[in-house]
This record gives sequence, C-alpha cells and structure tokens, in this order.
Amino acid sequence: MNVHIREDMSRHTLRADDGIATGGDLLKVDNISLSFGGVKAISDISFDVRKGEIRAIIGPNGAGKTSMLNVINGFYHPQEGVITFRGKTRSRMRPHEAARQGIARTFQNIALFKGMSTLDNIMTGRITLQKRNMFWHGLWAGPAEREEIEHREAVEGIIDFLEIEHIRKTPVGSLPYGLQKRVELGRALAAEPALLLLDEPMAGMNLEEKEDMSRFILDVNQQFGTTIALIEHDMGVVMDLSDRVVVLDYGRKIGDGPPDEVRNNQDVIDAYLGVPHE
Amino acid sequence: MLYREAGDFKTTYREDNQTFPIKSERILFWAAMAFAFLVVPFFIDSYWEKSVLVPLLVWALVALGLNILTGYCGQVSLGTGGFMAVGAFACYKLMTAFPDLNIFFVVLLSGCVTALVGMIFGLPSLRIKGFYLAVATLAAQFFLIWVFNKFAWFYNYSASGQITAPERAVFGIAVTGPNAAPWATYLFCLTILFIFAWFARNLTRGRVGRSWMAIRDMDIAAEIIGVEPLKTKLSAFAVSSFYIGVAGALFFSVYLGAAEVTEAFGIDKSFLALFMVIIGGLGSILGSFLGAAFLVLLPVLLKNLFVGSLGWPTDVAAHIQIMLIGGLIVFFLIVEPHGLAQLWRLAKEKLRLWPFPY
Ligand SMILES: Nc1ncnc2c1ncn2[C@@H]1O[C@H](COP(=O)(O)OP(=O)(O)O)[C@@H](O)[C@H]1O
Ligand SMILES: [Mg+2]
Repeated sequence: MNVHIREDMSRHTLRADDGIATGGDLLKVDNISLSFGGVKAISDISFDVRKGEIRAIIGPNGAGKTSMLNVINGFYHPQEGVITFRGKTRSRMRPHEAARQGIARTFQNIALFKGMSTLDNIMTGRITLQKRNMFWHGLWAGPAEREEIEHREAVEGIIDFLEIEHIRKTPVGSLPYGLQKRVELGRALAAEPALLLLDEPMAGMNLEEKEDMSRFILDVNQQFGTTIALIEHDMGVVMDLSDRVVVLDYGRKIGDGPPDEVRNNQDVIDAYLGVPHE
Repeated sequence: MLYREAGDFKTTYREDNQTFPIKSERILFWAAMAFAFLVVPFFIDSYWEKSVLVPLLVWALVALGLNILTGYCGQVSLGTGGFMAVGAFACYKLMTAFPDLNIFFVVLLSGCVTALVGMIFGLPSLRIKGFYLAVATLAAQFFLIWVFNKFAWFYNYSASGQITAPERAVFGIAVTGPNAAPWATYLFCLTILFIFAWFARNLTRGRVGRSWMAIRDMDIAAEIIGVEPLKTKLSAFAVSSFYIGVAGALFFSVYLGAAEVTEAFGIDKSFLALFMVIIGGLGSILGSFLGAAFLVLLPVLLKNLFVGSLGWPTDVAAHIQIMLIGGLIVFFLIVEPHGLAQLWRLAKEKLRLWPFPY
C-alpha cells in the first residue's frame, strides 16, 4: 500500500531539488535571541538541522522550544540572529512565506479548522501547491477541477498512509484527540514540506497512540525522506526516534548531540531533575 | 426507495465532488430548475413578481454575497445596505452615462465597482476582528449613505434626490422601467442568480473556499500553512461585494425602479441580510436561499394571514411580525446556530434511514 503512496508523493517533486545533499545543512539558526518585553524566551541559541534527519528539541516547560519553532517558521521575529534555510539567509519573513519555502508544522495545542472535514483540512495543507486562480475555480469545469482531482489523489495517499479513511468526511471538531493529532500531521504532510516541525506530537496520548504516532513519524522520515524537527517530552520516545538532540533550558542551549551522549550530559540531567540554577 | 444512497457508489473523485451527490437529489434539483425557468414565467403576474418572486431572487443574491464574507470567511459585516447602494448608484450612473450599454453588462460592471469599494472597506479587516470589524463596516454603511446623499452628482442633480431607472432591454425585451413585463424581470433576475449561485458553489467547494474557511476557523494556523491573510480576506470582501453590488443594481433597476438612498439602502437592510444568513445557515449556499426565502416570504404570509384573513389592523400585524422574526433569530442563535440548512441536512439524514432508523 505504501509503495503507491510514494509514487503519488514523488510526482510533486517541486521542492525536493534544492541542491542540498542528504546530511547537508537544511536549516541553520545562528545566535538567535528572542524576548517578549522583559522576558527572554531564547538567548543566543545556535544549532542546525541536517537534511534527512530527525532532530529532537527537548527541555523543561518554558524552555523556549515552541518559541524556537515559531522563530523558524516566521511567526516570531527574533531580535538577533540569522536563519539560513536551504542555503538562503532569510530576513524578516511572514509565516505564509515560510510555508511557501517548504516549512510545515503541527501545533502543541491542536490547531485544526474545526468547521471543516478531515478531507478538507488535509486538502487545505496543499494550498501552496494549488495554482489556479479564482476565475478558474468559479468555473470549475476544466483546469480547476483537474487541479482539485490531482490534489485529491495526493491527499488520499496521505489518508491511506495515516489510516484515517473512515473519518474522511467527518468534521474534525467531533474527532477524538488522538485522531485530531493525526489529521493535523496529515495536513502538514500534505504540503510536501522540506522541513516538518512537530510541536509535541504525542502530548496527551496513551501508549498505543504514542506508538502509532512514532511509527508514522519514522515512516514519514524514511519513506518520504522528510526532514523533521520535533519537540517531545517523553525521553524514551526521543531516544527511539531522533538522530540528534538539542536541549534547551531557560532559553539557553545546554546540550546538543546524539541521544546517548545527551542523556549522559550532567547539565541535561540537572535540568530535567530540576536542580536549581545558581 | 425515493431517497437512497445505496447503489449510488462513487467510483471517482469527480463524482465524489458533485454538488448533489445523491441521484434523487439531482433529479429534484433539475426538476425545480425546469419549473422555475419554463413554467413559472407563463403564470407569473405582477403581484407575484413584485411581492414575492423578484424580491426573493434579489435577496437570495444578497444573502449569497454576505454568506461568502461572513459565513465562509468569518468576517462580520453590517455594511450590506451601503454596498447595495454602491451597486445601485453605479448602475444608475452607468445606465444614464452609457444608454447603449446592455443592462446585463451594466449590472456586472456595477458589481465590479462595488467589489472595489468593498475591498477598500475590507482593508481594516487585516487588523481588526469580530465585533470591532462589525463596527467598522457599520461606519462604512453610514458613510456610503451619507456620500450618496451629499454629492448630487451621484443622482444626476435631480431635484428630488431620487434615482430612477430608465427602460433597458435584453434581446429587445424590456427588463427595467415601467413597461417591463413580470416574466421578463423575473427571468432576468433568475438567470443572473442561477449563474452567480453556480459560481459561488464552485468557489466554495475548492481551493478558494478552503482558504476562506481556514481564515474563519483559525487565522493563525491558516497563515502558517500558507494562506495569505490579506489576499484571502480581500478576495472574500471583493467577491462578496461583487454579489451584493449586483443585487443592489437589480434591486434598484429591476425591482424598485426608483429609489431614495436613505430609505432603500438603510441600516435595516444590512440587518435583514445578516438575519437571512444566520437563519438560513452560515457557510452554506443552500442556507442563503433558505434564509432569503424565509425572510421574504414570512412577512407576505403573515400579512395575508393577519390582515387578509383575520382582518387585523396593519400596524398590529407589522409589530407581531417584527416580534416573531426577532424571536426566531434568538431561537436559531441559541438552538440551531447552523440554521435552516442544518435542519434540512438532519431531515435528510432521517429520510435516508427511514423507515429503519438504526
Ligand atoms: N507570545 C508570547 N508572549 C509573551 N511571552 C511568551 C510568548 N511566547 C512565549 N513566551 C514566553 O517564552 C518562554 C518560552 O515559552 P515556550 O517557547 O512556549 O516554551 P516551551 O515550548 O519550551 O514550553 C516562556 O517563559 C513563555 O512565557
Ligand atoms: Mg511548548
């Protein structure tokens, strides 16, 4: 089943060719600082995300993880620092421009479009890939309908992949939490992103749901080759999934490296055990 | 076996995208259209034209336009009356300045002018939301009425301040002015409404509609997945105002024949349109029709009942009518916020399962 999805997905290769080899720097953030009034959410943080990897961002509550994702996709504008995505250094950028460059994400608190069905939510994920203007869409017959069907086929591939065929036409507001999280992942995948940002994709899930979600994340990474940066609290999950880990604490970076190395880092252990800061 | 999905399987995405996915529904729709286009014109008289059918068609177009903005894109507007006035005055100026221009194009151009004006008044929607946007559009309403009163150029310096539609024809048949036949005005409005409803349905079922609904449901998430807020909101304002402008042009030129701006396009019209989309169903094409039908037909029915059959004084009947409509709006807001369209959907669900409701 998954084989034909791959074909479906690879027909739209517009974002795949950016000249960055697997393992090269897809994203680099350098010396980022972000503050809200007096609160310093991020202080002088640098790290990179390599093409093809799963990069975890961990840290206690309030460490600045979500803020970091918001900086990466242009929702927050850092006071200092440089972001380089796919070889291009970016200045101030609106979130929809980041989306167009191939960054998609899910949210810590589910942010689905409540009035729409599962299918329409995921179709909306492809909005940056749809090209026909309003006039054609008003006429429908012809180019707009062809475009809609073409994207519907790609979306059905994602629906198969995430095993949510049965809720295709269900309004997302009435779905249980775990499925909503899955639909949200589907919506992000629909954009065929070069970089997928996941903010606590497993928060609030039971063990079985967590295992399903872990499997989906690994499959996305391996089958579609999508680079993933994910925030997660569950250390076990992080160790299983990620290639490399960044650890944040109070807005600063206190660790960076492969999971095993990070786990044995004294600063990280202290942060997680809540050792007071001097 | 009148109303069944069974045996009506969708094998292609194309079929799955149909406006009426169930066959019996499709047949019913086309039968109704055949009746409206081919039968009604032979029987329509001037009472049915002026009291029922033409206002119904025009208000359905208004409701459609407002529903695109408020129901689909989530931007509340209390400026509908003002935008109808823009359509009406654009129509009047075009009719008098270009007597040879076909009325069909005059009406479309009036819509275009209104779309431009609508986009200008839609600009604040990028910064303000909900209640504050409603107040801003209310300001647009009063401003526009003031402009059309203040500058005599708009009503060609006529002494009364009124605008009057000259006679214009389509294929040699008058559709405006005192000599227009009921069937002609009816068919003219029906044709325009049919085209516009079809266009609206297409817009809302594809990419454009999804981008509007995404903004409506969660604007931040919408922007993060690539929906441009400014472009999307302005497109909703433009399309909505286009529809409302065309409706305003028809309201003036075909329905009223002569209009005075404060009376014809006051704030009460803005509220009437808003009530139509609330009662009919926000974010539903069908709902726009049901809401317009409800609020156009109910007063006619009540008037016939109270004044005609029961012999009550007209002012008492009018007050009862206002209270009834007010009560219904409260009812719908509390009990069924998705309006008549939702009641219709629920009824269909029941019918689909009938007679075995399991
Ligand atoms: N929009 C905002 N306004 C003010 N403070 C904020 C905002 N967003 C985040 N913060 C602050 O930044 C810090 C980091 O928050 P966040 O990035 O959400 O942490 P995490 O995701 O690691 O739990 C917190 O102190 C939080 O209160
Ligand atoms: Mg967070």
